[in-house]
Amino acid sequence: MVDYVAAQRIATARPRARARDTSFLRSLDWVLLLATAALVAYGLWAISGITQGDVQGDSNYYVVRQGIFALVGVAGMAAMVLLEPQFWQRHAKPLYVVLIAMLVIAPVFGAEVRNTRRWIDIGPFRFQPSEFGKLLLVLFLAAFLADRGRRIAERQTTLTAIGLAGLPIVLVFLQPDFGTAIVYAGCLGAVLFVAGTRWWQLAALLCVAALAATFVLWAGPAVGVDILKPYQRARITGFANPSHDPGGSTYNVTASIIAVGAGGPTGRGVEGATQTNYNYLPEHATDFAFASLSEQRGFVGATILLLLYLLVIWRALKVITLARDAFSAIAAGGIAFMLLIQIFINVGMTVGMAPITGIPLPFVSVGGSSMVANLLAIGVLQSIAVRRR
Amino acid sequence: MASRATPFRPGRFLPPDPRVESPYRLTPQTVFRIGILGFLVLAAFGVLFFRLWSLQVLSGNQFLQAAENNQLRLLRQEAPRGPIKDRHGRILVGNTNATAIQIWPADLPKHGAYQELRRLARILNVPLADVTKQIDEHRGDPVTPVTVKDFAREREVRYLLEHQAEFPGMRIADTFVRRYPFGDLAAQILGYVGEISPDQLKEDKGYTLGDKIGQGGIESSFDKILRGRVGLSQLRVDSLGRPTSPVEPRQPALGGYAVRLTLDAKLQRAAQKAIVDGINRAQENRNWYAKAGAIVALDPRDGAVRALASYPTYNPSVYTTRKKRQLEPLLDPTVAEQSDFPALNRAIAGTYPPGSTFKPVTALAAMQEHILSPYNSLQCTGSLTIDGHKFNNWDPYANQAMTLPTAIAQSCDTYFYQVGKAFYDLPADRGQPLQRWAKTFGFGEPTGIDVGPEGTGLVPTIKWRHDTHTKKTDPCCWEIDRLWKSGDSVQLAIGQKDLQVTPLQMARFYALLANGGKLVTPYVVADIEQGGPDNGPIAGPLVLRQFQPTVKELNIDPAAIQVIREGLYEATHSSLGTSSGVFGQFPIGIAGKTGTAEKVVDVGTFNTLTDTSWFCGFGPYEAPRLVVCAVIENGGFGGEAAAPSALEVFESFFGMKAAGVNTKQAD
Repeated sequence: MVDYVAAQRIATARPRARARDTSFLRSLDWVLLLATAALVAYGLWAISGITQGDVQGDSNYYVVRQGIFALVGVAGMAAMVLLEPQFWQRHAKPLYVVLIAMLVIAPVFGAEVRNTRRWIDIGPFRFQPSEFGKLLLVLFLAAFLADRGRRIAERQTTLTAIGLAGLPIVLVFLQPDFGTAIVYAGCLGAVLFVAGTRWWQLAALLCVAALAATFVLWAGPAVGVDILKPYQRARITGFANPSHDPGGSTYNVTASIIAVGAGGPTGRGVEGATQTNYNYLPEHATDFAFASLSEQRGFVGATILLLLYLLVIWRALKVITLARDAFSAIAAGGIAFMLLIQIFINVGMTVGMAPITGIPLPFVSVGGSSMVANLLAIGVLQSIAVRRR
Repeated sequence: MASRATPFRPGRFLPPDPRVESPYRLTPQTVFRIGILGFLVLAAFGVLFFRLWSLQVLSGNQFLQAAENNQLRLLRQEAPRGPIKDRHGRILVGNTNATAIQIWPADLPKHGAYQELRRLARILNVPLADVTKQIDEHRGDPVTPVTVKDFAREREVRYLLEHQAEFPGMRIADTFVRRYPFGDLAAQILGYVGEISPDQLKEDKGYTLGDKIGQGGIESSFDKILRGRVGLSQLRVDSLGRPTSPVEPRQPALGGYAVRLTLDAKLQRAAQKAIVDGINRAQENRNWYAKAGAIVALDPRDGAVRALASYPTYNPSVYTTRKKRQLEPLLDPTVAEQSDFPALNRAIAGTYPPGSTFKPVTALAAMQEHILSPYNSLQCTGSLTIDGHKFNNWDPYANQAMTLPTAIAQSCDTYFYQVGKAFYDLPADRGQPLQRWAKTFGFGEPTGIDVGPEGTGLVPTIKWRHDTHTKKTDPCCWEIDRLWKSGDSVQLAIGQKDLQVTPLQMARFYALLANGGKLVTPYVVADIEQGGPDNGPIAGPLVLRQFQPTVKELNIDPAAIQVIREGLYEATHSSLGTSSGVFGQFPIGIAGKTGTAEKVVDVGTFNTLTDTSWFCGFGPYEAPRLVVCAVIENGGFGGEAAAPSALEVFESFFGMKAAGVNTKQAD
């Protein structure tokens, strides 16, 4: 009789031993680390230009704040690296409880800003749970799917995963924060995809999503069921036709496209960026930070940012292949896609290719929660990379 | 890898044990999926990259321009519109300074804009609906101001100046509004000025939203000359409309050119009064439906219009003050009908049956066609039966042989019935000479006067009759009605039944008689001049463009014209002439013809047959300098209502009074 249990112990023990052998520092993914550092630095530099004139008398107000958040985020990232990824897998259930609790607290006790409740005030800082929720959701779903092991191919698994992810998605949607809900849904799709869900199930999921979008945007309003608020719908359907109503719902897109285009190849500089400086561009430090950056730094500046993003995501994909176990691989895939979808929707909306939703641009947009949450996500990636096979 | 060599790898040597999870391996399937993910990443970034390339590198300049324009706000300074003067340089339409209250839609507050507009509308006493409608029309162009009120009162302006802070987006601007020193004088010819309508904006290039342009009359047809050039200055603003730079002038405003008319303000005034007097005379003679009329006075030598009066009329300044009660008759079709269409220029657009004033046309055509010898007498009787129909003379007791001049002088209908019958009896290959000559003399088509809109009138022809009466329009009798019968020719000869002419067309024909056979094109604009100070005639106006009159020689037998002129002179001077009581004692020799045209008029509750009262004539007889055509709608006999009105115009023109006036009931 073969001692299966002992065999398994031997099989799993060997890589762990190897990881301990190698120097911790050497095993870090240095490309990812440097790319992240460059990205944070570039983002701070961009924000310092964008917010130059925003606070009277203190032109560095936002960049200093943002710098502090970046430091907090780096500390968090370091902590993540030290923490074993399996920690998250082991504590998946409390993780989920925390995620749901945060998302429930935000609308109930949160501060209302522009008709939405997304923020919780903690001392002088405003904390946005849904930003951290992205990472928590990815980690939880990765744990859930990894635990299912071979049963990943079953329909039951996929449906349960969708149900579990559906609750936070709905909660975020109700805040209302349509953009983040889309990011959550994208993460769910990515996690299922990397975990190995059957193709036909993925295809079915895609169809359902497409049908839901059709219903929410066109069919629903036509029969009087308004799931989205009119302003949200107008922005989403309006992006396809920005010149339709330049003074109204598509004003943002028009102003943003003009800002991006006006930047030209090398940009108009900090002083010359009239779209940003004279507030033609709304939310130029947060949602439309990319448009401001493009106006000030031009095609060159925007391309550098995109290349840095590409580098980080490429490393994230690389980390999937290095992952020691299923959980790590799935989590890395989810994080990679989480970054990609945020970048694409945010940049896309500023150039008129994606609907207008209030998603921050990772590492650039002013906002502590986003900065810290994204750095934590990179920390998890590093942690996985350090404990590679 | 070393671990691969261990004998414990499940699946290869042993069946998998359900109790044991197989260790994680990077399966080819996962690698494939990561590949897809990678491809997605590259595609997403590629798309963004090319979009950025196209926006920033390929069309960067265009967006740079857009960004620049975004913050440049063009301020338009209205140019003073050029004046319209009469032939002696008297200002008929000038300008006066006014204060306009405007709204920049872009600068209205996001919340409370409606309340602000409502308050503003109440203060300025304008309908809120008008303001919101205008703002709606200006959508898509939020940086052009909307004029809420053009001519704000002083106390309104004072109040708004004091409370300016409470009305974000409101601007108090200097502007010009039209001034009409002569009140209702020539209102229909002058036209008025109003904000450009969306339709006009579409069809006419060179205007922008919010422009004030000429609407109707001279103001409209000479708008490009009168309007001048707006002044432009620019201002940099931020997205909230707050100025970030001082105002920089870019282009000064240039006043428009002046338009000088051929009209004589004094004669025009006299003509307008003459219509009113004519209407009053008609009313005294129990023609209760006499309420409107028109007078045309023109120079027969070149067609210059000296007076062009139409009644009822209005004061064009109502378009400036925009009082609803006063504007309704001009804009609302129902109210307009109740007020007898004051906006209609009856002198050029009103069409009437000409009655006996048309007889000279018949006579001239008949002589040109050699079917009438003017000095061969025809019997004038009280009635004449042709093809079984009895046609009456206006004077049932007439019984006398008449030559053409006498027939014209006494307006013998039966004489002309015979001429009409002679036209009818012509062989078919001669065509329809009477209608052809009428067309040659300018009937049935616009005269080409330089102010519109003009009526065409109607010269009935065989073809017209055939085309007009169809089974649809005339179900009972179309097969008979569509035929041209002798009665049609007979009635046409005395200007009755289907024939329709405008007073201007008639005046043009009498000008032809007066000048010996030349067809003039009437015109009211003499020249375009450098606009000067607004308050009076300027010394030595600089004429920029002189309009040359067009005069067409028709080569008509001068003897034939002379016969008719004799008839017209007899009509006003011989004892049995139709208007000799009116013109006989006037020191200047006036020759002319009365007309009394029967017309079925719908007076609201029922139809009644009324007489359109006409007089057309010219003087001095030897060398005519003025042709006058007067029409009093439903005014009764031409000799009673219209002829004395025409006399008033002649009196004003020659500066002389008739020693005595005796009207009589004569056609």
